[in-house]
Amino acid sequence: MSEKKKNFGMIIDTRVCVGCSACVYACKAENGIPEGYCRDWVVQETNGEFPALTMENRSERCQHCDNAPCVTYCPTGASHYDENGTVQINRSICTGCKACMAACPYDARYVHPDGFVDKCSLCKHRIEKGQKTACVSICPTDSLHLVDFDNMTTEDKAMLRGKNVYRQKEHAGTEPRLYWISASNKPGA
Amino acid sequence: MNHGTDFSRRDFIKISSLFLAGSAALSTLPSGIVSGLGNNPIEGKGEKIVYSFCEHCFWRCGIAVHVSNGRVTKITGSEYHPLSNGKLCPRGTGGTGLLYDPDRLAHPLIRERKGGKQYYRKASWDEAITAVAGGLYKIHEQYGPSSIAMIHHGFGVSFFKKMFSEIGVNKIAKPSYDLCCGPARQATVLTYGYPSGSPEGFDIKNSKYMIFFGTHFGENMHNTAVQEISEGIRRGAKIVVFDPRFSTLAGKAEHWLPIKPATDIAMMQAMMHVLITENLYDKAFVEEHTVGFDELWKEVKEMTPEKAAVITDISADAIRTVAREFAFHAPAAFVHSGRRTNWYGDALQRNRAILILNALVGNFKMPGGVVEFKTFPIPQPPHAQEHPAYEKEVHSKYPFFSQDSPSNTIASHEIVQQAISGEVKALFIYGVNLTETMTLGRQAALDALQKVDFSVAVDVLPAEVTGYVDVVLPECTYLERYDDLDNLIAFRKPFIALRQPAVPPMFDSRPGSEIAKMITDKWGLHGVFAPTVEAGLDKKLKLVGSSLEEIKKRGVLVMPETDLYRKPGEPLNLNTPSGKVELASAQLKAGGFDAVPKYTPHPEAPAGYYRMLTGRKPMLTFGRTANNRFLGDLATAQENEVWVNTAIAVQHQLTNGDYVHLKNQAGIESDFPVKVKVTQRIRQDAVYMVHGFGHTSKQLKWAYKRGASHNQLISKTDIDQAIGSVGFQNNFVTFVKEA
Amino acid sequence: MIEGVNEIISTKMNPNVLPHLHIWEWHIPLYLFLGGIAGGLLLITSVMIVMRRHFGIGPKDEGDGCPCGAVRIGAILSPLLLGIGMLFLFLDLAHKLYVWAFYTTIQPTSPMSAGSWILVAFFPLAMLQAMVVNRKYLNALNIELLNKLIKWTDDHLLKVALLNAHIGVGIGIYTGILLSFFSARPLWSSSILGMLFLVSGISSASALMLLLAPKKEKHIYSRIDANAIWIELVIVGLFILGGITGTANTHGAMMHLIVGDHLMAGIPYMYWFWGVFITAGLLLPLLIEFLENAGFHLHLPPIAPVLVLIGGLVLRFLIVFAGQTYHTFM
Repeated sequence: MSEKKKNFGMIIDTRVCVGCSACVYACKAENGIPEGYCRDWVVQETNGEFPALTMENRSERCQHCDNAPCVTYCPTGASHYDENGTVQINRSICTGCKACMAACPYDARYVHPDGFVDKCSLCKHRIEKGQKTACVSICPTDSLHLVDFDNMTTEDKAMLRGKNVYRQKEHAGTEPRLYWISASNKPGA
Repeated sequence: MNHGTDFSRRDFIKISSLFLAGSAALSTLPSGIVSGLGNNPIEGKGEKIVYSFCEHCFWRCGIAVHVSNGRVTKITGSEYHPLSNGKLCPRGTGGTGLLYDPDRLAHPLIRERKGGKQYYRKASWDEAITAVAGGLYKIHEQYGPSSIAMIHHGFGVSFFKKMFSEIGVNKIAKPSYDLCCGPARQATVLTYGYPSGSPEGFDIKNSKYMIFFGTHFGENMHNTAVQEISEGIRRGAKIVVFDPRFSTLAGKAEHWLPIKPATDIAMMQAMMHVLITENLYDKAFVEEHTVGFDELWKEVKEMTPEKAAVITDISADAIRTVAREFAFHAPAAFVHSGRRTNWYGDALQRNRAILILNALVGNFKMPGGVVEFKTFPIPQPPHAQEHPAYEKEVHSKYPFFSQDSPSNTIASHEIVQQAISGEVKALFIYGVNLTETMTLGRQAALDALQKVDFSVAVDVLPAEVTGYVDVVLPECTYLERYDDLDNLIAFRKPFIALRQPAVPPMFDSRPGSEIAKMITDKWGLHGVFAPTVEAGLDKKLKLVGSSLEEIKKRGVLVMPETDLYRKPGEPLNLNTPSGKVELASAQLKAGGFDAVPKYTPHPEAPAGYYRMLTGRKPMLTFGRTANNRFLGDLATAQENEVWVNTAIAVQHQLTNGDYVHLKNQAGIESDFPVKVKVTQRIRQDAVYMVHGFGHTSKQLKWAYKRGASHNQLISKTDIDQAIGSVGFQNNFVTFVKEA
Repeated sequence: MIEGVNEIISTKMNPNVLPHLHIWEWHIPLYLFLGGIAGGLLLITSVMIVMRRHFGIGPKDEGDGCPCGAVRIGAILSPLLLGIGMLFLFLDLAHKLYVWAFYTTIQPTSPMSAGSWILVAFFPLAMLQAMVVNRKYLNALNIELLNKLIKWTDDHLLKVALLNAHIGVGIGIYTGILLSFFSARPLWSSSILGMLFLVSGISSASALMLLLAPKKEKHIYSRIDANAIWIELVIVGLFILGGITGTANTHGAMMHLIVGDHLMAGIPYMYWFWGVFITAGLLLPLLIEFLENAGFHLHLPPIAPVLVLIGGLVLRFLIVFAGQTYHTFM
């Protein structure tokens, strides 16, 4: 494991997300994801009964957990934390044993047709060049934000302030690093 | 109609896969990228970014096309283009799926008849152009220019428009006017004195209160509008959505009001009633800048919220609340005109009602209200409209049909009818899959295609229509060609955008500019077009002090932001007969139509049937993207579903995920079954399905047999007699379970 | 929580992840089954050796340090079955060429890494033990190295057997722990799974030895088996109790297993669990063996041990499959 220089994750504003899936396609194009697979995906969740319905749209992906069960469980060290605080897979030592897939509470991984296990890399190759991820760059609603949680900007902090913010399956103890601004926030919260 | 002995009958020809891209693509491209997917080299040699604009919908966002070793690897949003701001919707990214579609048309094709059999023959471009030029010329000589009609969709049509203008052919239709933008455009012309375009003239990002009727932003991914709505939400704007369905936008709304379909005008009248009776309207604005208030009041006086509640199924309290909040937030509040709102044949008046509501709260040219965006002017050289052979500028019989749009002089259904009646002898179809556009339903389109003496389709894909014509000309995609400059879009910052090729044309496809030039050259009309398309563009750009070389770098020339807001005391000088906002329209009255919008009840569903509503998925633009494997490759993009309310599903013993056929009120049953989505998200009196599925062309290997065709189930259309637009929502369906 | 329905639309379509996890098919349950038997065999044979050598109890010594014929066979079968099991494990890898990657690292937090090293440690000692008890065949070959190894092992047999007994237990528990570390899979996430698979492995191993043992030794393995089944029944009971009294996740997962209508080979889990595993695989053989041990000679064909083996196999399939078909931790 390399020394941690950054601590990247995302803040996702579900208030504005319309579930258009631009993030999914951008990722597929950027990372050459094979047909029938995806590293990120969009969920539209509706609750209630007609006409009292509520909705949340969100773009989901690997949570780049601080305490990632996939890394814990990986028998070869293929799944690992990198210096940007993200969880990465070293394809050249992945045996395709799939233990990481069973370990992931977010079902973020899949077996690539070429045999290794694959998932969101948080566009490691772009982050290293100082760029944002493909999904963040394309998002028409600005729902997606790449954030270095060790060096949060004032805008990053303002984004969260006073709002109902949650993390998914926090009680799984994985310390996920995707923070979600709930769609239940009142306008302008 | 009996075609049994008709000499000109065209059998549908299934285009042989030898004439499509498939095999060629497979052999010349590494595996996995045929459909635009596959492993991207993250760092590669020969990488470049080509700035152009998208053609996957009419919004035409700026795109940055990333090319590596002669292959388009990805498409992202252009950071320079005012409509994309570096962002892009799924369809924009999906350009690679069209470019590398293995089903693309690869060669010109000519229909042959031998021994009672009809088939397409692979032709050289010279043969095909000879056939087209000759076929059109013959009909032009024999029957005159108005016997030729062009139906088109897509930005590349300008060259063909010019080609036809050279021989005086001016019978040109774009179905999108009939089906989509016509009423909003003409209503704005009649009420405010200028045509509305896209993006629609609303100051979304500065608005505090936005009301949407039935339009579903987020599902129709109009990039800039969605960007601004999101910005509005962040700034605390409230959203109100009237929609029988809990759309994605309704999911963001402060108030979702599941209005009974076909009653919008009653709702709008009731809102006007509240604004007027509760003295909430902008009296100063109405007095100074509008005409016809008294006539309007007379019309809406009876439409109390209580009366409207019975009609619309929305409580009187809710109507009052929305009207009061609307007035409270005005002028930074608007009712959006929406898009593709031609539903019941009264769309013009419905749009007028929206514009009147806006005028009543005085949001005209105010921050957060109604605004008029401007285009980037290019000085036009004298236009070909002076051609002596022109019979008339506008061919439509509808009195308030668009009078000022040279690429749209007649409704497409009029052309279809004229083709059936024999008045139109030749059809030139550019980028329109006529049998699947909603204009008069599938059968009328088929009849028209059968009846004409000569027909040509210019297309990229073997869409259904390409099986019914005499000559098929394969155009290359928008990623492989130059087109005309795009200065037609009005927005905050006026701009000129360039379409330029990212890669050379694949297979034996050619750009439209070249095809049109070959045809005019064949006619002996030399010098219609510049020697090269680049030279033509450069010449135009010189007129605004730029050059092709300059615009190629960023794909766009952008003017500073224009001032959108009116100043206090400033006269509006609108281009209406009164020079003011026309709450009541004397023009319409003189033409025998209602001066102010009236509510008229529309047909109700027969028992056991449900009104068929339609819309979009965010990753698809109907036919343009139907066969796009890249875009189709998501669980939600694979097929369309029919949304059925839970209670109705119980009545019909349907469970979520069942496949059923749909049958409409005229007994037409969908060719293919469609998946049932049992949901709380729709009223009990309507079902909803996304348009653009259920393709019958086996050559569209991806799209074939996916879901059900909405178009097939349209057998009743309601034509707006003022402007000729077509409503198609008075169609009702029921469920037929698989045996 | 808002009253009413919950409708979810997702664009996701990754194969073997949706509609539910489907990463492990027959390979893994078979591997777990064979691993369990291998561990059980090693434990039983080692204990038999220790009992004989150290305490002088057990069946009559046949010479060569082997307590009985069944131990001779069991000692060979143990590494053999484990080897076959590992072959299945290998076949399950999506990236088989990279199997070496298991052995270039030790990942202390990964049970699979620990397991792959335990498996390596297992073979030498188990094989030495198998050689000692089968020395009369090997001596005939008269290979010096073999003879030396056998001699050395025989000299240290008590220690080797004691160590092997622990390794056997380790392997047995490991086959369960492998799954129970996955907190993301509610059915598997129970530490008692290790004990369940260990005891099931012992009962399967004793059933296998019962099948193969000479007639005069059968009663020994029948008793071991009956006792193992007893314990297994208790552990299964605890496993079920722990599940149904657990949180929503655990409770749901257990119900998915014991009353679930999800199909395995066309039959709902519920029937597999109660009909095949509990009734046919545990209760019925227990009854038969109890009666036989109590002196009622039923003169049945060896139906009880076969049922136990089937039960053990079905248990592994059920747990592996139901653990995947139930939804991810919520």
